[in-house]
Amino acid sequence: MSDAPPPQPFAYLQAPNAALYGQVLAVFAQARERFIVHLRPEDVAAELRQGSGGTAAVPVGTEAVGAALEKLVEWGNLRADADTGRVTSVEDFHRARYLYQLTRHGQAALRAMAVYEQALGRRGELQSVALADIAEQLGSLLVLAQAEDPDPAKTHLLLLQIAERFGSLADNAQAFMASLRRTIDFQDGDEEAFIAYKDRLVEYIERFIADLAGRGAQIADLLTRLNAAGVGRLLLAAARREAGDAVPDSDEPEAELARAEAAQSALVAWENRWRGLADWFLSRSPRQPSQAKLLRGAAVSAITGLINTVAALNERRGGRSDRSADFRALARFFAQAADDAAAHRLWRAAFALTPARHLTVDAATQAAWQEADLAATTPWAEAPPLEISPRLRETGSYERRGRPNRVADRTAARQVLAEQVEREAAQTTAARARLATDGPVLLSELAGPDGLDPHAFRLFLAVLGDALSARVPGESESSALTGDGTMEVRLKLVDPDTTVRIPTADGVLCGPEHIIEIIDLAPTGDVV
Amino acid sequence: MTDADVQAERRRAARALLASPLMTSGSEAKRSEDFRLVRKHAGELASWFTQETGWRLVVDAGAARLYKTPARPDDATRPARAPRTRVPFTRRRYVLLCLALAVLERADAQITLGRLADGVLTATGDPVLVAAGIEFRMDRREERSDLVAAVRLLLEWGVLHRVAGDEEAYLSEASNDVLYDVRRRVLAALPAATRGPSTVEAAAPDQRLTLLTSDVAPDTEELRLRALRHRLTRRLLDDPVVYYAELPEDERAYLVSQRHAITRRITELTGLVAEMRAEGIAMVDPEDELTDLRMPEQGTDGHATLLVAAHLATADGPRTEPQLVELVRQLAAQHRSYWRKGAAEPAAAAELLSQALDRLTALDLVTREGGHVTAKPALVRYALAAPTIRKARSRA
Repeated sequence: MSDAPPPQPFAYLQAPNAALYGQVLAVFAQARERFIVHLRPEDVAAELRQGSGGTAAVPVGTEAVGAALEKLVEWGNLRADADTGRVTSVEDFHRARYLYQLTRHGQAALRAMAVYEQALGRRGELQSVALADIAEQLGSLLVLAQAEDPDPAKTHLLLLQIAERFGSLADNAQAFMASLRRTIDFQDGDEEAFIAYKDRLVEYIERFIADLAGRGAQIADLLTRLNAAGVGRLLLAAARREAGDAVPDSDEPEAELARAEAAQSALVAWENRWRGLADWFLSRSPRQPSQAKLLRGAAVSAITGLINTVAALNERRGGRSDRSADFRALARFFAQAADDAAAHRLWRAAFALTPARHLTVDAATQAAWQEADLAATTPWAEAPPLEISPRLRETGSYERRGRPNRVADRTAARQVLAEQVEREAAQTTAARARLATDGPVLLSELAGPDGLDPHAFRLFLAVLGDALSARVPGESESSALTGDGTMEVRLKLVDPDTTVRIPTADGVLCGPEHIIEIIDLAPTGDVV
Repeated sequence: MTDADVQAERRRAARALLASPLMTSGSEAKRSEDFRLVRKHAGELASWFTQETGWRLVVDAGAARLYKTPARPDDATRPARAPRTRVPFTRRRYVLLCLALAVLERADAQITLGRLADGVLTATGDPVLVAAGIEFRMDRREERSDLVAAVRLLLEWGVLHRVAGDEEAYLSEASNDVLYDVRRRVLAALPAATRGPSTVEAAAPDQRLTLLTSDVAPDTEELRLRALRHRLTRRLLDDPVVYYAELPEDERAYLVSQRHAITRRITELTGLVAEMRAEGIAMVDPEDELTDLRMPEQGTDGHATLLVAAHLATADGPRTEPQLVELVRQLAAQHRSYWRKGAAEPAAAAELLSQALDRLTALDLVTREGGHVTAKPALVRYALAAPTIRKARSRA
């Protein structure tokens, strides 16, 4: 076996039968604990079947065990020695027989795996004892810090203890945070996993979070006081002591230098640890909460999630369904739909978001029905059909109610408007001409014997309104420009007791007699 | 405010609900005005719908939802449509939409499109989906566009609210993420099945549909009649035409005897008018707005549909699809100057016919079976009206 390949004691972990290899190796490890070194394949198989030593029984054939042993020998985990013991059957005799034992490499690998699994399998339990220890040690440290000349050895030891205790606390906390964050999905109704999770969470909260709330405050207080008392001095002492270990005692300048350097780096490390400790229990700012606070937050949100899940489980038990599961069920139904048409039907039934759909009717058709006075028993074929504009029927487009025409011919409308404007302008001009007075006249004379025509009267009312509203109370005279600035009106009260009557087409206007003068400022023709 | 004004407002609110059973605040002006009216008249509307249809109306400050359980499970003409292109959803998109909803249901108050895609991808690991041949990887643009179509629908409904980024960028590159607020109350209002789908164990698709929409079975005579009225009112409110021949015996008998009462109640609420004929009833809309499909409609497609309808209405007996393709080809040649470019090309005829028949089917005016197209009775209303004197008078 001189040209054997270098041992690969971890190769079995990646092999297809990793579980079996692990179990076989576990059998050897247990045998070693009982001071048995060599094992025959039959013994291994029997141990596996019995499932002794805490492992579950594995029904596995001798053949499979033999193959596994050979593989393990190949990788260097086991060593095979020829078996010279007696046999009880012909087949056994003809088979190559060996005794197996763990190699050095195999043992080392087993030990490594044990450490690995221990580290992985660390449950997220936070020893509340650790908190108490840390508090106590910090208390001692505070006593030292307040001392005149603290003992470096004591200081160092205390700091080491705190660091170790805190290290394991932080590791556990990290593990727990990770397990909290891991989404345990109960979507498939894995109630067992859920109950396990729930128990763990409740246990954790009982054991630790409550303690963290109490102790955490105490520790935070101690840390604050230590910081105030100058913990740097203690850290420096510890760092110096460590440096003394690292560099042998000597008075050479080089050694002196090396010691200073070592002390410096040790100090940096200690300061770093101290800061970690402080950050754990003291929030730096509201935006950077302490680890302890984060842990509590995580626990609280985990409780919320827990309650939601309990509610969902209850609903499911009560026949109600949780919506996420409903949507997933629908996704499955859609996936199993025979075709798109089936999917559309399912869509309508499950979501009911489809709009109503109705045929249309217009006023002309309705009138036609009305006129035909249809009985409810008239077949469609005998009722007047929908009146569809011939234009739409011919071209596929028409003026649709409620929508603007795309290209509207407005020539006719414009002409009508133009005519109307012209007519109104002419009337206004006539009215102005009729109203304008050549100097002051009496109101009663303004209208003349024929009265005012409607246009002139309307204009007159506007003018009169302007003039009256411009009059200051108590005054009997006023003058005003009309709103458009084209006429001026002057009004003077003659006698408040004399009432004049102005006949117009719209009726008779009554009021006290005035002297009125209306001046057309824009001569005829200028007004547009 | 006069009674007539109140009634007009309530009518508008009822119509808005029938057209979009889920309304949210904060959409564009017209719809938010509609939403305001729905809120204002929520009490009366809710009691009307409960009384007449058994549909639930839930209105709160953020959303109004009318749970319009359909009375007819066999209607495949109302797909979900992609908001921009109006293309009907495919089976895949429906699956994706449901998975996205499942993810959102468990999500926090905010989510990104990338996170949503991850969640959907995880969910597609479901063996049932795999067995049904549904598989997603978001690395191709088409697959991302399926997701984006679902997300846009959710945006349109108001389940999601875009905070930053846009979907177009995500389509071109998956690393361009989009951030959304999730509006949980709207999300909660989406599923309308009367029974939680996860509690439905039936495997037959039709049975599933029945279970999803089933109401409590009525156990007294009075409740039985009420259930009948609900079913008929639902159909009249939602469907273009209700043919007597297609109703089960008890519904037909009830509708024949109660048609005036039922349609009058509908008219009072919605302003729809009953077109009551020997073969059935159509609640038609004088305002031509309470529908998702118009007929007649302008444009090439609408015109082609109208002409095909007129042809089928006056033809005696069914037509085969090849005959109709030929008809459309002739029509296209005839209307070349009005129809859109390319419509007169020989290959376009089949496509035009297919959309025309889809629309006529959706409006319940024709049936297609084995390549034959048969006019249903109501199609006759699109027959060419003869120019009669009566007509001339009514125009005047």
